[in-house]
Amino acid sequence: MGELANIFIKSAFIENLALAYFLGMCSFLAVSKSVKTAFGLGLAVIFVLGITMPINWMIETYLLSENGVFSTDLTFLRFILFIAVIASMVQLVEMVVEKMSPALYNSLGIFLPLITVNCAILGGSLFMVSKEYNFGESVAFGLGGGFGWFVAIVAIAAIREKIKYSNVPPAMRGLGMAFLLTGMMGMAFMGLMGIDFVNF
Amino acid sequence: MAETQVLVKKVATPISFGKKERALITDPLNDNNPITVQVLGICSALAVTTGMKNAAVMAVAVVFVCVGSNVITSALRKAIPSQVRMIVQLVIIATLVTVVELTLKAYAFESYKQLSVFIGLIITNCIVMGRLEAFAMANRPYESALDGLGNGIGYGIILLIVAFFRELLGKGELFGMKLIGAGDIYAINTETSDIFGWYVSNGLMVQFPSAMFVIAVLIWAHRAWNPKLVDIS
Amino acid sequence: MHSTRSIVIFVLIMTTVVSLLLAFLSSAWAERSKDNALLYAKKATLGAVSQHLEMDYASINNEQVSDIFKNQVEQKVLRMDGTALTKEEVEELGYTGGQAENVDILKEMKKPEAERVLPLFIYKKKSGDKFYILSAAGKGLWDVIWGCVALESDLRTLAGVSFDHAAETPGLGAEIKDNKTWVKQFTGTKIYDEQGNYTSVYVRKGGAKDPDYEVDGISGATITANGVSEMLKRGLKYYEPYLKSI
Repeated sequence: MGELANIFIKSAFIENLALAYFLGMCSFLAVSKSVKTAFGLGLAVIFVLGITMPINWMIETYLLSENGVFSTDLTFLRFILFIAVIASMVQLVEMVVEKMSPALYNSLGIFLPLITVNCAILGGSLFMVSKEYNFGESVAFGLGGGFGWFVAIVAIAAIREKIKYSNVPPAMRGLGMAFLLTGMMGMAFMGLMGIDFVNF
Repeated sequence: MAETQVLVKKVATPISFGKKERALITDPLNDNNPITVQVLGICSALAVTTGMKNAAVMAVAVVFVCVGSNVITSALRKAIPSQVRMIVQLVIIATLVTVVELTLKAYAFESYKQLSVFIGLIITNCIVMGRLEAFAMANRPYESALDGLGNGIGYGIILLIVAFFRELLGKGELFGMKLIGAGDIYAINTETSDIFGWYVSNGLMVQFPSAMFVIAVLIWAHRAWNPKLVDIS
Repeated sequence: MHSTRSIVIFVLIMTTVVSLLLAFLSSAWAERSKDNALLYAKKATLGAVSQHLEMDYASINNEQVSDIFKNQVEQKVLRMDGTALTKEEVEELGYTGGQAENVDILKEMKKPEAERVLPLFIYKKKSGDKFYILSAAGKGLWDVIWGCVALESDLRTLAGVSFDHAAETPGLGAEIKDNKTWVKQFTGTKIYDEQGNYTSVYVRKGGAKDPDYEVDGISGATITANGVSEMLKRGLKYYEPYLKSI
């Protein structure tokens, strides 16, 4: 259990998908103009990551690997199957959000279906494969990664909202500033390297 | 008179390489650059730019996938059922990316090892998907190919520029060849064995955040040089 | 609006075409990719004796690597007690090819200590000098690290090392692979002292105190460096029964 908590904390803060690996940057930079939309998108990402990770783990272990049902190395189908699972899950989330909170659905607009191509989702699954996690660890990794991405995007949205009132040079306004801020946040998170709760 | 004019317009426009076609390639290099203006394809731009060789391989891969998926999607655009549009596009992209990965594994193993996870992430590279939706679904294969080429090259240029600075300042090398300095600051008591020993590598340049800083400066420079882009995103 | 029938037909055609294309490419290139992976590992192994090769290691090509392995490298797979396995026994463990080059050291590390097998490469220079290349694996900061250590024929002095990692930070932990100057420090160090006691090689933060048995650390990569020390101390000792039997 401690190992799972360790993975959750690691993927949420120390190996933060957005600030340490810089995954999911496109939506990260595009949606972080207001805290409300960032909050909604972050929650959706947690949900999608938490669900697709274990499903992709099962696909990888039982279908694609040599020890799976087909007994041959089908890993060349990995990309297609993973992205298909992610696309379907996002479709599901879209339907759920539309029913439960039409206001959020409208404010997120095009960015909800764009979670499908959010590199953090596919990247998370590919990292899970390369780190050879087991089932429980994949769930912890998915939820932790999603949570970390959520924290990152809400934080930068808060900063960007405030920085609108500062005197930024015209050519740097908006996107340029966002890049600079993300870089600095990334540097700050680098300070968390090496924290290990199990071997404390 | 008006009728004949309408009829003439409906005749297929011939394949040519005129001003409009040239714009398809040159626009994404400057005014509509995928990374600095459209805010697409950022993730891989950060991760693979630690060396110019990796950046070059990634750029070629993205151009291939962009052009390929644009052409295939455009050719099939009337046949794809709208209900499964997204999935079909994703499958086309995923297939091309798998082809790229298999090719690298067979013919350029070193690059495959270095790029690892980020080859797969070309699938989620928003540029590819973005151009499919915005252009290929509504245009002919020839123009779509040019559009894919332009956007891929626009992306590649930014990648190479960022990699140039990161590799030069971070390791004193370009394409793996040592140019300046040999002071690897992380080993104490080193014996410098190169001719130019005065430069101490800026280790931060090799880390992820520095890519952000380099791109931020690039955007600043780009928009200062091209003022119509200020406040565009 | 397309009918359900046309959607199903389209999807079926697409799935078939895609699967056939990818399956074809994958199997056509499978041999090549496997060879590439093997060559990559072999090149890393030769990295441990990079200073004793007849050609410049930095510019070595694949043919030269397989040539050297074919003509100048003897391979053994050892049990923890020092005895060697036969080719069939190695294949029974799941390593097709039955040679040391096919053994996956990371997989072995997951087995209980007593059951592991160890790959050994004996490189013979054209002049007749012999070098024993041992393998070890351990844990770095983020993920696993592994490497090869080449011993000279006195079975005590290191001729060189080569390390690799799964996910260390570039510029910090990854320096165990990228920083040639740091790696060169290992040449000339010893793993047994004058009395024959096992000392291994220790990576000391802040600078080596005894250059025969220690090397300098890496600034900002203490945990990875500690991982290297631990990996060497434990991993090299596994080969002791074999080394004593020579």
